[in-house]
Amino acid sequence: MARNIEAAKCVQCGKLHYPTHFYCPSCKGTKFQGVAIEGEGTLVTWTRSHVLPLDYSTMYITLGIVQMDMGVKVMGQLDVGTPQTGMRLRSRIGKVREIQGSDIKGLVFTAI
Amino acid sequence: MRDVAIVGVGSTQFGRAQWSLLKMMCEASHEAIQDASLGDRKIDAVFVANMGSARNNRMAGLASALVDRMNLYPAAAETIENGPASGASAFKMGFLGVASGFYDVVLVCGGERMREVNNLEATEFVSFLSHRYAEYVYGVTLPGLAALFARMYMERYGVTNEHLAMVAIKNHANGLLNRKAHIRDSITMEGILTGPDAINNNPWVSEPLRFYDCCPVSDGSSALILAPANLAKELCRKPVRVAGIGQGTDTHAVHERPDPTELTAVRIASQKAFHMAGLTPQDIGVAELHDAFTILEIAESEEAGFFPKGEGHKALERGETQINGRLPINPSGGLKARGHPVGNTGVSQLVELSLQLRGDAGKYQVPSRPKHGFTVNFGGFGNNVIATVLSEGV
Ligand SMILES: [Zn+2]
Repeated sequence: MARNIEAAKCVQCGKLHYPTHFYCPSCKGTKFQGVAIEGEGTLVTWTRSHVLPLDYSTMYITLGIVQMDMGVKVMGQLDVGTPQTGMRLRSRIGKVREIQGSDIKGLVFTAI
Repeated sequence: MRDVAIVGVGSTQFGRAQWSLLKMMCEASHEAIQDASLGDRKIDAVFVANMGSARNNRMAGLASALVDRMNLYPAAAETIENGPASGASAFKMGFLGVASGFYDVVLVCGGERMREVNNLEATEFVSFLSHRYAEYVYGVTLPGLAALFARMYMERYGVTNEHLAMVAIKNHANGLLNRKAHIRDSITMEGILTGPDAINNNPWVSEPLRFYDCCPVSDGSSALILAPANLAKELCRKPVRVAGIGQGTDTHAVHERPDPTELTAVRIASQKAFHMAGLTPQDIGVAELHDAFTILEIAESEEAGFFPKGEGHKALERGETQINGRLPINPSGGLKARGHPVGNTGVSQLVELSLQLRGDAGKYQVPSRPKHGFTVNFGGFGNNVIATVLSEGV
């Protein structure tokens, strides 16, 4: 099982943030609990990128911003044939990039 | 604070450099120094704007190198890296130096030589601006972030690919009149969007953005001389006053913004610049906006307060932003056609605006001879933005 991608839950005010900040953007607290980003969400916007960083060998990648039901928005790769804004998606952890020979894991979304 | 004026401007040809980065910066600085007729007067400080010399040109400490090559010792020297907003940042530091009375004569020089590496390496280097683990690792580039932004904007406000193409066509037509512009070819709606060859002429970069929605990768250097207003008349026939500067920042990750279609930092920077100048958007007669992507010209024109939110594309449709329109935007060709030497862009925008306010822009002079001009220099994907208002005379 791949390591989770985590949002930060502020111990002081309970707000969930992603990505993490040193000070809580809501209350300036400095203590956080990791909360796995998982489950379902709604596609806010997407793009199919045809001009890619050097370490990709595919023709294109599909990227999206997803509003997760658990409360945070995230960027992720879409494993979806024909994306449509507003569609429902489910997250998993998968390989999103290779940097200097090592696999980078991240959020990958499929249609529900 | 003292009033500060721009008393000299200079710029190299944009595009593929014929010289080293340092030589380009010397040429632009020399032109600005000549323009200012400084005579025997010493330059007290040099502020250099650059984003990628250590990576792309294997050079660091550019400001010190420029002082040496131009024999400006013992001038103070700083190199400023603030992403694509480096240019306006260096300008702001120079302004503060003169306004405070700490310095009298300041040289601000932006320089970037991106074409020493290939296009993909240049795109990769610019993508370092994105959030390391929440954006970058997914393979997003700056065109990718702009595309995510553009789709939201288009779906919400009814902006179409045709509107985006209209920005490109306008700015290319302007660039054709600017002999220092990187791209000097005219494009048509048929050629890039509606005709049978459009998809070959204008392929996808990151959907919904195509090739002609994105600025080129450019080399280029621009420079200007700042001096206190009371000295400006002595140094310059047509000084331009720095009327207002504003800056704003926003979340690093675009998706973390409560409404990612809002460019809050542009709005805040613009409001602050107008407040300092004691002017409103209605007073502005020419603007150079940061059209690294066509959608940004439309969005920035709204956040700056020139048009209501969601109506920038309608003003574009009506021709209001053409060179002879009510508010000409990017008469120099903008980043789209003049080019985008990334760390230099903010300086080059201020040079272009100065030429317009002096009436020295030649073939692309805005015919209404505006008294006040405005720029937006947009860093990252809108997480660090500087707006400036310049006014004719001191
Ligand atoms: Zn908190």
